[in-house]
Amino acid sequence: MSSASPPATKKSVYEGSTQFKNWRYSPEKLAHVRSTLNQAAVAVIKRTFEAYEPGSSANVLFLTADEEHLLVKHYIATITQLCSLFRFPEEVEATAISYFKRFYLKNTVMDWHPKNVMLTTLFLATKTTNNPISLETYTTHIKSTTASDVLDLEFLVAQSLGFEFSVWHAHRALWGVWLDFQSLPDTAADWPQAHRDAYETALGYVRASRLTDVEFIFTPSQIALAAVSLTLPEESYKWLKSKYPSYNAVETTVNKIKTIIQSLSRPPDVESVREVDRRLRLCKNPEKIVGSKAYLARKAEQEKKAEEKRNRKAVEAGEDDPFGFELGRSTIVDDDDDDDDDDN
Amino acid sequence: MASRSWLQGKTVKKGGAVGSNGHTRPTTPQVQSTSTTIFGGGVKDPSGRTAEYFSMDDQCPVCKSDRYLNPKLRLLVSSCYHKMCESCIDRLFTLGPAPCPICNTVLRKLAFTPQTFEDLGVEKEVAIRRRIAKEFNKRREDFNDLRSFNDYLEQVEDIAFNLINDIDVPETEKRIAVYKAANAALITLNLQREEAYALALKEQEEFERHEREQRAAELLREEETERAEKEKERQEIIDKLETSEKDAAKLIAKSRANTLKRSSNRVSSMSRLGLGVDYAKMLKTRSKTASTVLDVPHVPFQDNWYSFEDMYVLKPGGYDDLYSETVRKDREGIMRGGGYRVEEAWERALRFAVAGLDLLPLEGLDPTSEGIQIEPSLVGGDIVLAS
Repeated sequence: MSSASPPATKKSVYEGSTQFKNWRYSPEKLAHVRSTLNQAAVAVIKRTFEAYEPGSSANVLFLTADEEHLLVKHYIATITQLCSLFRFPEEVEATAISYFKRFYLKNTVMDWHPKNVMLTTLFLATKTTNNPISLETYTTHIKSTTASDVLDLEFLVAQSLGFEFSVWHAHRALWGVWLDFQSLPDTAADWPQAHRDAYETALGYVRASRLTDVEFIFTPSQIALAAVSLTLPEESYKWLKSKYPSYNAVETTVNKIKTIIQSLSRPPDVESVREVDRRLRLCKNPEKIVGSKAYLARKAEQEKKAEEKRNRKAVEAGEDDPFGFELGRSTIVDDDDDDDDDDN
Repeated sequence: MASRSWLQGKTVKKGGAVGSNGHTRPTTPQVQSTSTTIFGGGVKDPSGRTAEYFSMDDQCPVCKSDRYLNPKLRLLVSSCYHKMCESCIDRLFTLGPAPCPICNTVLRKLAFTPQTFEDLGVEKEVAIRRRIAKEFNKRREDFNDLRSFNDYLEQVEDIAFNLINDIDVPETEKRIAVYKAANAALITLNLQREEAYALALKEQEEFERHEREQRAAELLREEETERAEKEKERQEIIDKLETSEKDAAKLIAKSRANTLKRSSNRVSSMSRLGLGVDYAKMLKTRSKTASTVLDVPHVPFQDNWYSFEDMYVLKPGGYDDLYSETVRKDREGIMRGGGYRVEEAWERALRFAVAGLDLLPLEGLDPTSEGIQIEPSLVGGDIVLAS
């Protein structure tokens, strides 16, 4: 490639990140993950329906993977609104959205309603990005929300994220690109002042890109470059050329991102979301709805299991040797032998 | 008051004032006695700052005379650590060695010492330790290891303890004699060393005192010349004012300037002579004691990650951007107080801007694209937290 390629023995820090290792997909893979997740969820929920009321699942219209994604997208837009309400920094917003999207690559909307998950991811993001806010302030400023709505799912969310809280964001890369533009040869001294608006526009594109899946497919620097090349194509071209003399591959990638941002970054239509949400109410996993038969049954079953486990533990503890006698018992102990020969 | 003079360590004419003279035969030599001249023991203090022990309740255990009856009563301590008054000592021991009236040990007149401590036990211990220290004067350097030095100290302490508490005295004395015979050469050597050290100390003190005196004399002379000069000056001004027709104010100003110049000259020459030498000496001794610590060059922590250092160059003059505006305008450095450097924020942003710029997106349903890929070479050895 170019002279800038890293030495063979070293691996770049970005490739060492969890974002690169665990949250990088091809578009096909992404679709595949979503559809398999959806199918599995539908199968499980169907079985639960049948178990309590046979035949009840026949006329339930379950959500498809696309419909699930539509709902997720809608709530991403809600996160943005919430962030401007609390005046959270860009970092919190971007992190919360990443968490939210990552969560729904491991879970389905039909199990966990995005409204609660959104609240939890945003609260979690304030903490992981070092912009903490008290839970009380947080809940009192959001209509009809209690502390338990936020906290109940927190561990589940963290677990789904694999406790990988650090995210490489495109908006920071955008800032870096903007700064590095000033290092380009023959840049006028008043260039930064004159192009502030262009920066804001580019940031708007980065924000819009959060509604799409680009962060799972491309690197943050590529997304930032795509955003900035939508507003300042000339500088972007010069900058890319200065970084990579043979820049064709990068340019192709950037163009792909540009197309995605321009076509897919609008929040979904409210009517269709409402429709999906209405149907979601009917096809939610009954085990996750507090007060339902399935929920109670599951609770009872869990109780029973826990009880069993406790009993088993008690029985085990009741045996004469807490360190377990099984090893000694299973072998024939010869009285004439030393202890050393026990195992033959 | 005459009775006070011995308290201050001054010479007392023994038996000179009081009638004790009457007991002694006229042939007895009149000795000018001080605590240091006649009496061997006790705490020797050439500076005379240690006072002899003295109490209003003193009473001679032999003749029962006390301070009330005899204001000049002086009690001395025998080698068996019993007190008696001077008149009793004169009476009992002038004719030669005689038994102690209390414990029957044979005593001589010269073996009586003045008392320094109220407690005679302490008196005894100090005397014994002084004697022991004279002979057992080995130092740490005389031993190969700390262990043997400690053993030696233990042995010395043993001997001292035995002598103080009268345990196996003859045997202990024998031990001392044996030791003395075995280490005669070393003992004298160490004695000489100690003397040399004391001499050096004394010389240094003497030198410093001399220097102080010289400094004071110098200062005095300076003052003298200055005063004389001032006097001369005044006289000159008056003379000039009398004879010349120039402006009086001008004349005075001129002479003032002259004076100032001269005095400043004097100050500088003095500092060159006096203080300069002193500082040089001080520095010399300092440099001798201070051990030089080598400054090892800093080696930055090495890891196995590539962080795109060659992909960007931080602009030397800094950047003009919205986020760093307040920091750049902060002339007093309030924002940089905690060690915040805006350059680091910029560098991080630049690193993000170039990180993985040439990474091609994954394609298809490649099973390896999902899940964790860890290069075997990186497992275990890397330090950087995945971020």
